[in-house]
Amino acid sequence: MSTVTAAESVTPVVVRLKLSLLRNGLRQSAGRRAAYVASIVFVLLFAALQLIGLIALRGNAHAASVTVLLTAVLALGWAVMPLFFPGGDETLDPTRLVMLPLHPRPLVRALLVASLVGIGPLFTLCMFAGSVIAMAHGMAAYVTGVVAIVLALLVCVALARAVAAANIRLLSSRRGRDLAVLSGLVIAVGAQLVNFGAQKLGSSGLSTLDPAAEVLRWVPPASAIGAVDSVNEGSYATGVAQLALSAGALAGLLALWQRSLTRLMTSPDGSTLQAAEPTRDTAGRSSGLSRLLPAGRTGTVMERSLRYVWRDPKTKAAWVTYLAIGLIVPVFNALQGTGSIYLACFAAGMLGVLMYNQFGQDTSAFWMVALTISSTRDAYVELRGRALALLLITLPYATFVTVLTTAMLGDWPALPEALGLSFALLGAMLATGAWSSARYPYSIPQEGYKNAAPGQAGIAWISIFGGMLAAALLCAPVIALTIWLHVSAGGEDWTWLLLPLGTAYGAGLTLLGLRLSAPRTAARLPEILAAVSKG
Amino acid sequence: MTEGTTAGQVAVRVQGLWKRFGEQVAVAGVDLELPAGRFVGLVGPNGAGKTTTLSMVTGLLRPDHGSVEVVGHDVWRDPAQVKARIGVLPEGLRLFERLSGRELLAYTGRLRGLPGAEVDKRATQLLDVLDLAGAQHKLVVDYSTGMRKKIALASALLHNPEVLFLDEPFEGVDPVSAQTIRGVLERYTASGATVVFSSHVMELVESLCDWVAVMAAGRIRAHGTLAEVRGTERSLQQAFLELVGANGRDTGSDLDWLGGGAR
Repeated sequence: MSTVTAAESVTPVVVRLKLSLLRNGLRQSAGRRAAYVASIVFVLLFAALQLIGLIALRGNAHAASVTVLLTAVLALGWAVMPLFFPGGDETLDPTRLVMLPLHPRPLVRALLVASLVGIGPLFTLCMFAGSVIAMAHGMAAYVTGVVAIVLALLVCVALARAVAAANIRLLSSRRGRDLAVLSGLVIAVGAQLVNFGAQKLGSSGLSTLDPAAEVLRWVPPASAIGAVDSVNEGSYATGVAQLALSAGALAGLLALWQRSLTRLMTSPDGSTLQAAEPTRDTAGRSSGLSRLLPAGRTGTVMERSLRYVWRDPKTKAAWVTYLAIGLIVPVFNALQGTGSIYLACFAAGMLGVLMYNQFGQDTSAFWMVALTISSTRDAYVELRGRALALLLITLPYATFVTVLTTAMLGDWPALPEALGLSFALLGAMLATGAWSSARYPYSIPQEGYKNAAPGQAGIAWISIFGGMLAAALLCAPVIALTIWLHVSAGGEDWTWLLLPLGTAYGAGLTLLGLRLSAPRTAARLPEILAAVSKG
Repeated sequence: MTEGTTAGQVAVRVQGLWKRFGEQVAVAGVDLELPAGRFVGLVGPNGAGKTTTLSMVTGLLRPDHGSVEVVGHDVWRDPAQVKARIGVLPEGLRLFERLSGRELLAYTGRLRGLPGAEVDKRATQLLDVLDLAGAQHKLVVDYSTGMRKKIALASALLHNPEVLFLDEPFEGVDPVSAQTIRGVLERYTASGATVVFSSHVMELVESLCDWVAVMAAGRIRAHGTLAEVRGTERSLQQAFLELVGANGRDTGSDLDWLGGGAR
């Protein structure tokens, strides 16, 4: 009995708390208020457009497939969102409620209801309502639809909360924060895949969705929306089973959420656990890598750079993103038949970006480097070591992507020139990257997803885009030669020359770039340190 | 003690050092000569300009005016000579934290140009002495504050510098680690090397240092041997309060109850 009264009193309190936090947050600054209003307007407009689109789908043979898929995608969004915005909702952060004498069950109920307040749930509600309107024919279907909307929305919200609660410990530990940084690239790669999927859909119609929807209509919460379609067709038993599946999922998620909440509030936080954990880090076991690298400063710098590619979440995220995009763009274009062998240069260009802001990647630990650079020669060897570490991965990778693209296009005679162009571009990117590392360093914050400290975003953009433009200009001779060989009579026979020429040109550019950057680096050590220590 | 060889020599000579950050003057004309072979303490309240001064002395921050000489070489005109001779433990700057403790030492030593085998030998000894051997394969990012200070001290000592600059080496360090650090530093100065360290904990400076410079509001207020700076006061804490209070209100007796140095 007491739990019931507690639930009745807690729920409105938590909802009111959420509303007043929202209001107070908006009261703080006009900019925030404007941003919030703008985002509401935007979301409502977007929701309205989607709603119109869904209603227009009414009667379409594939309407059920679209709505089921839409529900699944929305649910996925809800599941992933807390990982990206862990501090997004203050009232729902259970660690703030730890000191209150609340039982888990009423707390879960209150938090669930409070979760329904906001733009996200409103948008989702619009989508689900639109889905039901798009599909439902007849009274029974509409009744099922209303149940489905409520169920699907609750499953989405519960999913988000369960994922957040289960991951709070993870997200507050060092490894978790590393992971959170990495998850940014899930979006980057995911966006590419969605883009690819949308193009595919545009070319071959809605019927391509049917097989996926066939599976998803049994996966909660999409199964709830799928139930409307089943009821439409008169298979009431299937509809009830699908609804039951979603209800079961909701119950399961709530139980899971409650369990992690209880555990969270009754045990020490992650940092304590981690400190007590016995050390079983394998870091430092000699990888044998050092024996293969050259001796002296060059090998030392290379080894550290390569270790950071794997161990530093920011560096790793950048690498994985650029490796993925460098591969996806030429290969997907080749897959779609719109490919060109020259798109393979994209990989080289993308990976070359990693040479930019080398010292920013060190963060303020750059002082350790600065204290050991006492001459232009030291600076040159430092930059060369970093470029070599980069080349160790990018050179084989760019070659691989170029060969793969060539193979997919079957354009083997063009391989030498594509490779030559790639290497020339890579060389130009390394050269401009080294120069801008010395000239335009900026801080990379270690927390969150930003890749430039506040106030330094301008420098970051200018240095990267200016550098890319400069690299393209530097490559102009090789590009011009390629075009000339293609347009002049009999020139096609000589395109193989571009491989040695492009390679030599790229190598030359890199060496020149390093030579020019070294004195700037050596002369600007304190300024670089100040610029990279802001994060 | 190698008093005979180092006494009277100057380890660090600072002349007319200025640094301004926007409107705020962090260091307002510091002139200072630090004797070689001593345990030198740079004391002052938070915001006195200690970190800024040490950053400029070690070449990590460019001064607006003034010159710095370390063991007879100008920091800005002759960086090769200076950087080889100094070890630095800065405050508020990161380490390469995604390396393990041992890897960090291996990296630093090799960047310093020491032979690999020698680096590894010294690293092993330093890790042992500083009680880090058990955590040597753990990433520095997972180290506690005390462990971080110790591994930073190890990398500052690795190339056996003539002058060691430590910015707040005991800040946030547990007593056990502090004692370890202290032992290493005492052994190091006993062999004739110079340690310059900053702190705002007067008792610590009093118990460790034989030469002190007092800094406040970007200026040196007093410097000399511990006895000279302390003068007639019972403790450095009181002497310090007198020094700082000179341009304020009647702080000498008012501030007595604030500091713990007297009792």
